[in-house]
Amino acid sequence: MLKGAEIVLRCLRAEGVDLVFGYPGGAIMPLYDALEGSGVRHILTRHEQGAVFAAEGYARVTGKVGVAIATSGPGATNLVTGIADAKMDSVPLVCITGQVRSALIGTDAFQETDVFGLTLSLTKWSRLVRSIEEISEVIAQGFHWARSGRPGPVLLDFPVDMLKASTEFNRAATFIPHTKPADAQVESSFCETLIALLEQAKRPVALVGAGAKLSGAVVELRQLLDQLNIPTFATVHGLGAVPPTAPYYLGMVGMHGTRAANMAMHETDLLLVFGARLDDRVTGEPTRFAPHARTVHFEIDPAQLDRVRQCELPVIGDLAETIPAFAEEVGRVDLPDWSDWRALACGPERAELDPRGLSQPTIRFLDELFSRLPEDNVILADVGQHQMWAAQRYRSASPRGFITSGGLGAMGFALPAAIGVQLAKPETTVLCVSGDGGIQMNIQELATVKRLGLPIKMVIVDNKYLGMVRQWQQLFYQRNYAETDLSDNPDFVEIAKAYKIHAQRLGEEQMAQYPVAKATGDVIDRFLQSPEPELLVFDCHPEANVYPMVPAGAALSEMVFEEE
Amino acid sequence: MISSPEGKNMQAFHIRYRNTQGTLMRILNAASRRGLDIPYVQAEPIEHTHQVTLLLEVTPKQVGQLCRDWNAVVDVIHVRAATPLREQIWTAAPIPPGLARISDDTQANAAMA
Repeated sequence: MLKGAEIVLRCLRAEGVDLVFGYPGGAIMPLYDALEGSGVRHILTRHEQGAVFAAEGYARVTGKVGVAIATSGPGATNLVTGIADAKMDSVPLVCITGQVRSALIGTDAFQETDVFGLTLSLTKWSRLVRSIEEISEVIAQGFHWARSGRPGPVLLDFPVDMLKASTEFNRAATFIPHTKPADAQVESSFCETLIALLEQAKRPVALVGAGAKLSGAVVELRQLLDQLNIPTFATVHGLGAVPPTAPYYLGMVGMHGTRAANMAMHETDLLLVFGARLDDRVTGEPTRFAPHARTVHFEIDPAQLDRVRQCELPVIGDLAETIPAFAEEVGRVDLPDWSDWRALACGPERAELDPRGLSQPTIRFLDELFSRLPEDNVILADVGQHQMWAAQRYRSASPRGFITSGGLGAMGFALPAAIGVQLAKPETTVLCVSGDGGIQMNIQELATVKRLGLPIKMVIVDNKYLGMVRQWQQLFYQRNYAETDLSDNPDFVEIAKAYKIHAQRLGEEQMAQYPVAKATGDVIDRFLQSPEPELLVFDCHPEANVYPMVPAGAALSEMVFEEE
Repeated sequence: MISSPEGKNMQAFHIRYRNTQGTLMRILNAASRRGLDIPYVQAEPIEHTHQVTLLLEVTPKQVGQLCRDWNAVVDVIHVRAATPLREQIWTAAPIPPGLARISDDTQANAAMA
């Protein structure tokens, strides 16, 4: 006989889980009671949101399912932002929540929340467990849905009496899904149509999203892009899928994309989309997005098609299958000569206006940081101006090397996510870049970092504002800086010291010369090479802005490069 | 077909699904998250599964989006869009002529129950 809690842990082990993140409480206590000796390591964060973001970080860097655990009521509601984030960014995640005992469900009992109902629109699949006998099957099914197709979040809600009860248990269940008629709709004849579209195209481009990474098809994608040799750019989640050294690669596209990428996107007559959702941060004003283009959309999730832009040719299926099929066909035909188009799109007249960030010390600081990182590194960016600067300056060819909350844009994501990344990759240098606003949303996780002795390199770009909102206020609200002033920020160096984490400050005047002074370089090197957790606060000019920027309602070609 | 000035049409959707926890709610969510009113909804068992029929006033673009969203729901089996039947439209009217009026006393008693 095993208790329900023990069955849960056995089933987690059967799914390959050896690391979970969580925070205990009344309704989930039986699970915590059974943890010891279960083979599942539990990481105690200081807030449930920290737990779910850490689980996301673990999942994003490994491709495995991340697991977060919380109690009922407030514990469960504190997971919701992370669940929404995982939904937007296709992160395989299983959240396990305790629930009040079955007899009390629906009575507004202490710490009762209908988390199943709350998260229906955010989860890919969820269950409120109603009997101990179904625990094994529910967990097997939950993990299946979290990692299959377009990955996403799953919620499993366990009434406390289910965790306490006992039953016979032999082995963890396996789950075989029903197939849908829709599953068989993979278009096998797309290659012929696509080749015809390519042969007609004068200005083809490729847009790379996260799909190829999630499908494990990065190598195949790179080979295909080398064959096509057409101007190529990436979404923020596509960064790293294409080597930045590829001669046809133009960087990030979208609201803060590169000039070259946005111009090519606007001028193209054939847009090949590989695993991207085409959300509004990528398209700008949808009615003016790629106005001359026909669109071919490689996508695993049909629900992502035609949301913003109708595509002429949907290619539905796992990119690990559709990309090689297309590449094989491309290898059989003589593609048109697009050298003139490539020369224009990738040419020097469209290069970045300020390649060394000479007018923007924060960009130079990030360049210095990134260039001094060891090859084996992962960069996490929180949400805001620093996120876009970091994305613009990211120069690695590591497919899972740049991690950020892209779809939901959840401030406070980076620090706890970095915990998950560092635990998954103990030998990797993990650099976590936050703003002064975002870091304070989950700053309590410094305690987790210290307790575990994780050598995470934490950077706070401190401009004493909610910088991205302030930038919009400056550009579009006549500098009415309503409620974005953070000039009374605490001293982050002192805060870190209170957590017994070494910290120091770097002023932007130390980035005034190029290359930076040796003393400044040494500070950065020591910071990156320390075997301990480290915090570096970089003082950023309060009114530094992210450029280029595509204003709301504008086409991608209508970027602004400075305040008008 | 009834068209609105915004190019919307009243459209019927027939969605077959396995009646597992939350599946019907996920189906309805696809409409409610778009701010669509659901003037007609009928869910019923059919053979070994269930079917829900919805009437929604939608644009042609929304028809495709909704169908794809529903197909992405784990336990949805099949989605079909169709022209609504006359009696469905009649039932979906804001105040159906045949609506039984509930007396104030009955309402009060129900609220206290």
